[in-house]
Amino acid sequence: MTQRISIDPITRLEGHGKIEIFLDDNGNVANSYFQIPELRGFERFCVGRPIEEMPLITNRICGVCPEAHNMAASKAGDMAYHVDPPRTAKMLRELLYSAFYCTDHTTHFYALGGPDFVMGPDAPVAERNILGVIHKVGLEVGGKVIQMRKYGHNVVEMIGGRKVHPCASIPGGMTKGITEEQRKEIEEMGRWAIDFAQFSLKIFNDIVLGNKAYVDLVLGDVYTHHTYYMGMVDENNKVNFYDGKVRVVDPNGKEFVKYEPKDYAEHIAEHVEPWTYLKFPYLKKVGWKGFVDGIDSGVYMATPLSRLNASDGMATPLAQAEYERFYTTLGGKPVHQRLATHWARLVELLYAAERWVELVTDPEITSPNVHTKPTQTPTEGIGIVEAPRGTLTHHYWTDERGIVTKVNLIVGTTNNYAPIQMSTHKAAASLIKNGVVNEGLLNMVEMAFRSYDPCFGCATHSLPGQMPLEITLHDADGNPVKVMKQFC
Amino acid sequence: MKTLVVGLGNPILGDDGVGWKVAETVEKLLPPGAPIDVDYLSLGGISLMEHLIGYDHVYLIDAFASDEPVGSISVMKLSDLPNYSAFHTTSTHDTSLQNAIELGKLMKTPLPNEVTVIGVAIARAYDFSEDLSAPVAEAVPLAAKILLNMLARKMPA
Repeated sequence: MTQRISIDPITRLEGHGKIEIFLDDNGNVANSYFQIPELRGFERFCVGRPIEEMPLITNRICGVCPEAHNMAASKAGDMAYHVDPPRTAKMLRELLYSAFYCTDHTTHFYALGGPDFVMGPDAPVAERNILGVIHKVGLEVGGKVIQMRKYGHNVVEMIGGRKVHPCASIPGGMTKGITEEQRKEIEEMGRWAIDFAQFSLKIFNDIVLGNKAYVDLVLGDVYTHHTYYMGMVDENNKVNFYDGKVRVVDPNGKEFVKYEPKDYAEHIAEHVEPWTYLKFPYLKKVGWKGFVDGIDSGVYMATPLSRLNASDGMATPLAQAEYERFYTTLGGKPVHQRLATHWARLVELLYAAERWVELVTDPEITSPNVHTKPTQTPTEGIGIVEAPRGTLTHHYWTDERGIVTKVNLIVGTTNNYAPIQMSTHKAAASLIKNGVVNEGLLNMVEMAFRSYDPCFGCATHSLPGQMPLEITLHDADGNPVKVMKQFC
Repeated sequence: MKTLVVGLGNPILGDDGVGWKVAETVEKLLPPGAPIDVDYLSLGGISLMEHLIGYDHVYLIDAFASDEPVGSISVMKLSDLPNYSAFHTTSTHDTSLQNAIELGKLMKTPLPNEVTVIGVAIARAYDFSEDLSAPVAEAVPLAAKILLNMLARKMPA
């Protein structure tokens, strides 16, 4: 009798994901599908609007990383108008973006990824959340998390003109600069952020790396895949979130390609499956070979772990030291174990905080020269940044008036759709045996996709929002024989 | 007493933006100088909690996915809503508002003791649009009136 298990983790902010697992006669996994419903009509919504509006519109796509969409759209606007923003404008954008990264990575570690490790993957679900972390590690942690988020929001508001949904980026640069008084305040917050990032790495070191069971879990085969890795790098092949070239390394860590953002379409193609609306990007020059590992499969991953794998290091000293410790501890580059993404995210947190201070102490950061006036007729623009959860591409075409005629977006999580599908399938196949399905196993399947920090970009806020996570076992005739529920 | 009205949702995702429309209507109809702040947010969990700091009473207006007919209006206390994430790590990026408020209070953050939720039932929103469907649009004036009546009781005579 074939059984069917449905995991339906519909979430409040990030869209919907549903895992369907089919068991064979022996209760082992025959197949599984990670499905994502598509939100419709975004291109139609954008067509006919001035390209200057795109940074404001696209940051409404998603309630999780509006700043990333704002940055990619701003860069696409620069290119469409054939204008190069002044150095100070680029630094201000990157400074805002670094502060946003600190906020976002902090939230993920303490509210999402961390609880699985701090509380344990088998801990009662009532404790496996941020409140559980605080009760276990101490009240001090909660205060620091709130402080970090507050500082991040403050910087976004000071530079971007508005909290969460910044509005100061326009084609050619920024609408305003910062004062010396603001600069000092931002520097002080940045120095605090560096301490906080080091504090977070120490927690990871003590709680995860200090526990053999967790290290075994991270290094185990269940959460391991050998794929290509993508990330943006600067001229020294160091990780950069805001600007640079997109570098891809093969499963052995060797550079496969490094391309300018404008050339993305030469390197990325999209595969379609009949069971889901979302497409699966892959490396065009390798080809789509299915959901398989290896150097002959065009599947690539774009996450914090990917960025570290695809780079030659971090551009700031403390993060570089952590980068080296990361690879020394995990056995060299590239690291294929997906759960190591949580550690990679904290290395990036430290880099973002250091970069924040580096930028805000640049002598030109308070220069009033923050905008280059566009003078040419707009045509077509492509902007790529590294969103916290993957390489984010915005591509717009306009008419001669700058009115958008066509839009193409490849959002961070979309890059990772094939790897997430592979990871959830492998976790389910490895953990569900002989029909035994319990809450702990279910959570460990969820952990497979949680490490990617997936975001399906819809920002739908409909209450009650968090829907039950439901596992339904069906017999061969489709009749439900058992229903298990938890909430997510 | 500091009071905040929040229109919650995504204003470019069709009926999901109904909370913003109700908040706009309320803001227009509030008496001049009314000691009530109105905000428009596309946030949840910890991020939403951070906007509620310093207020005594908060009214959240949000789209509501339920079995009720589309356009139905429900008024609830936040404490009466199920706190799903009390059972789990919840959303892929954050936690529930209830958990976030508990987190804030643990940190001695001044947060409202009372959060009222005005929900407007919608079908699931999958299409980008700035427009509401007819039955949801029809609910906006009534939802605004219900909220204005509640707010009137908070204002000095």
